[in-house]
Amino acid sequence: MKAVNSLVEDIYYDDDIVKKFILATLVFAGVALAAGVMVALQLAFWPMNLNSEWLSFGRLRPLHTNAAIFAFAGNAIFAGIYHSSQRLLKARLFSDFLSRVHFWGWQAIIVAAAITLPLGYSHGKEYAELEWPIDIAITLIWVVFAVNFFGTLAKRREKHMYVALWFYIATIITVALLHVINSAEIPVSAFKSYPVYAGIQDAMVQWWYGHNAVAFFLTTPFLGLMYYYLPKAANRPVYSYRLSIIHFWALVFIYIWAGPHHLLYTSLPEWAQTLGMVFSIMLWAPSWGGMINGLLTLRGAWHLLRTDPIIKFFATAVTFYGMATFEGPLLSIKSVSSVGHYTDWIVGHVHGGTLGWNGFMIFGMLYYLVPRLWKTELYSVKLATAHFWTGFLGTIAYYLSMVVAGITQGLMWQAMTPDGRLMYPDFIETVTRILPLYWVRAFGGILYLAGFLLMVYNLYRTIKGAPVSVPEKVRVVNTRDVTAVETGHRGLEGAVTVFSVLTFLAVLVGSVIEIYPTLALHKYLPPSAQVEPYTPLELAGRDLYIREGCYLCHSQQIRPLASEVLRYGSPSTAEESMYDHPFQWGSKRTGPDLARVGKKYPDLWHYRHMLNPRVVTPQSIMPNYIWLATNDTDFLVLRKKFSVLKNMGTPYSDDQVANADIHAEKQAKEIAKSLEAQGGPSGLERKEIVAMIAYLQALGQKAKETPK
Amino acid sequence: MSEDQDTPTTDHDYDGIREFDNPLPTWWLVTFFATIIFAFHYWIHYEFGGGMDQKAELSQDMAQIQQLQHNHPASLDTEEDLQKLAGSAEIISRGHDLFGAKCAVCHGPELQGVIGPNLTDEYWIHGQGRLTDIALIIRSGVPDKGMPNWESQLQNEEIRALTVFVASRKGSHPVNPKAPQGEKIAN
Repeated sequence: MKAVNSLVEDIYYDDDIVKKFILATLVFAGVALAAGVMVALQLAFWPMNLNSEWLSFGRLRPLHTNAAIFAFAGNAIFAGIYHSSQRLLKARLFSDFLSRVHFWGWQAIIVAAAITLPLGYSHGKEYAELEWPIDIAITLIWVVFAVNFFGTLAKRREKHMYVALWFYIATIITVALLHVINSAEIPVSAFKSYPVYAGIQDAMVQWWYGHNAVAFFLTTPFLGLMYYYLPKAANRPVYSYRLSIIHFWALVFIYIWAGPHHLLYTSLPEWAQTLGMVFSIMLWAPSWGGMINGLLTLRGAWHLLRTDPIIKFFATAVTFYGMATFEGPLLSIKSVSSVGHYTDWIVGHVHGGTLGWNGFMIFGMLYYLVPRLWKTELYSVKLATAHFWTGFLGTIAYYLSMVVAGITQGLMWQAMTPDGRLMYPDFIETVTRILPLYWVRAFGGILYLAGFLLMVYNLYRTIKGAPVSVPEKVRVVNTRDVTAVETGHRGLEGAVTVFSVLTFLAVLVGSVIEIYPTLALHKYLPPSAQVEPYTPLELAGRDLYIREGCYLCHSQQIRPLASEVLRYGSPSTAEESMYDHPFQWGSKRTGPDLARVGKKYPDLWHYRHMLNPRVVTPQSIMPNYIWLATNDTDFLVLRKKFSVLKNMGTPYSDDQVANADIHAEKQAKEIAKSLEAQGGPSGLERKEIVAMIAYLQALGQKAKETPK
Repeated sequence: MSEDQDTPTTDHDYDGIREFDNPLPTWWLVTFFATIIFAFHYWIHYEFGGGMDQKAELSQDMAQIQQLQHNHPASLDTEEDLQKLAGSAEIISRGHDLFGAKCAVCHGPELQGVIGPNLTDEYWIHGQGRLTDIALIIRSGVPDKGMPNWESQLQNEEIRALTVFVASRKGSHPVNPKAPQGEKIAN
């Protein structure tokens, strides 16, 4: 019941900060989508790598993913959260100053990312590539956001928190937890650090992070936005309050466990893999709870689907959400994963979510917000409708081409002849087969970008034609102090602290149960395991491997599947990566697995292959890494690197640390000599290529007892 | 709208957004419970119920494959079998194509030797230069010296074609030959 003794107040919302975040969204969406088109073209047509150190696929791909997630989606989330929360709480944001620090701080982080990623400063952990100074900045700005958000909750004039706010709370708490735990690292220099975790620990923590970045950066905030903007745009009540409660808590509790489904059939302990799989299956219904609540809210408003581009975007977004959250559990089934993992099917799956769900939610929200905030009409509904169809076709072309490419390649990798041999033993055959689909994908991306540009023009004209805006007073009724006996969840909706603590506990349970055991790494290693750590030159090469983003196209993890054992050798073991800070198992095989590539080819083969892969494999789509032959290796920093690794438990002697550079130079001379002896050029001993060769030749060679 | 009248509602109103209190759809609840029951069964079966682990599954599959390979041995070609093919221009040309794609990077397009040895001279590091020797080296490789084992990548008839092609270039005296390696084999 409405409060009788309500207080009426006139207040101002801070819409200026929302406008700022909207403009930043538009700018960085352009960057993210253009980078996406560029990397798609590079995969279809390798010369698009431009022989450039700064623009090769391995460096641009992290730029694309980070820009899409943290710059495009991030700014849009902040715009939506700040706009909707003020209205749901009947309160201006807690602090104008913090809002501005949040805005400018976040943009500074994005610019820093856009500069450092092409320069090759990277952790080598997907979606967490940014180096340690930027990691610290992200933490600080996230805290500013949290203080500003919870401060606003504290001064609210509405007693209860609407479901959208529950999702915002879950987002803020969990993203903080994920980022801080996964980014634990020890600096070596201003722009280089090593994660404290190694091998299976690092794999577990990374995919707990990676999966839940999707969950709590690309899902929960967007569900929150859906719960506000969809009923607003359709002017219909939300379908079911009860469903909101059940699916919120189920989603938050279950999602956090699902990370290990990215590591099925790896050397991660099997119990963790199985947990990842079964929790992913149980996640299906809670995810669909959100879809149902979204789509059924449109009951009675379906006619708007014909006329209103905003409803078109929202309804399609929620449908894509439903598709992606069905496909996710499906891909988490071990036998399905054995075909889909490492292929483009996963790329298709994630873009169904990002282009279809996140992108379309954002576009719908922007078409809703811009005319309202700038107090004018949308410049052209027709253009918005054209944007919808262009974006929709682009998404479909992208998704279908990648699903077909992924399943085709996955089946080709496994295909056997009746006499027990691989049907396609030559990896490149499986690449050339799907290359036409890479063109279709690039075309889909271009369509999506074109649709976006239509929106930019449309919104530009809208804003340009708007009157000079003055902040408007809003009359609100303070219902904060309603006294009524409330039980169950309704009571919880009025208790921010209790609600937040419960949310934190819900995400903590799965995190602790999965991560804690793997921290005692030795439990999972056979007692007889004897693994030699990397030599200093190999470590230098490994850091180049990370800098060039090799892990984005090459795995280092042979799965215990017959076809993999025939193709690559015996399955990878937990001990083989026990000194790997970070692990480099990879998640995609655009090229073959490299776990046992060491000693397979002569040094000169690697030299020629790195400089121009087509000399060795005529149809290869790998970029040329010509700069490795001209850049000098930094030998001196190896002492510091060795000392950091020794402190983290790698068994290096004091001599190995103190003379790391000398040992490295000695090994480099030997390799340079062997290159020359095999007919290669002379004088390469100080060049990066030699370090890279040292590392590649060490892969799979470090465990004393190579398993059968 | 009629559905509004029979829909249970709440008194919630947030910035104009109202909420119905519809019950959870039955099919949704059934799905949710079914996945939970499946999850428990699956977990118990594989963790405690003796379900096969990945290692055991792999050894089973590998045993099957070894049986298949045993039934279809890679090659039982004799020197005579290969000699019979040596005159076929079609097979030699196929071998030439394969050589260009797979071998030229190390042995040179004219077989003159680059990383790997010259294949046109009278010197052999492994074996006596017979057709079966060449086939064996292609098949099994010399891992210590960087010659990969091609058995896993090439079909039988491809290995035959390569063997015959390599033998056909003996004494072709390419320009810039690599210095002789191994033993001189007179024949």
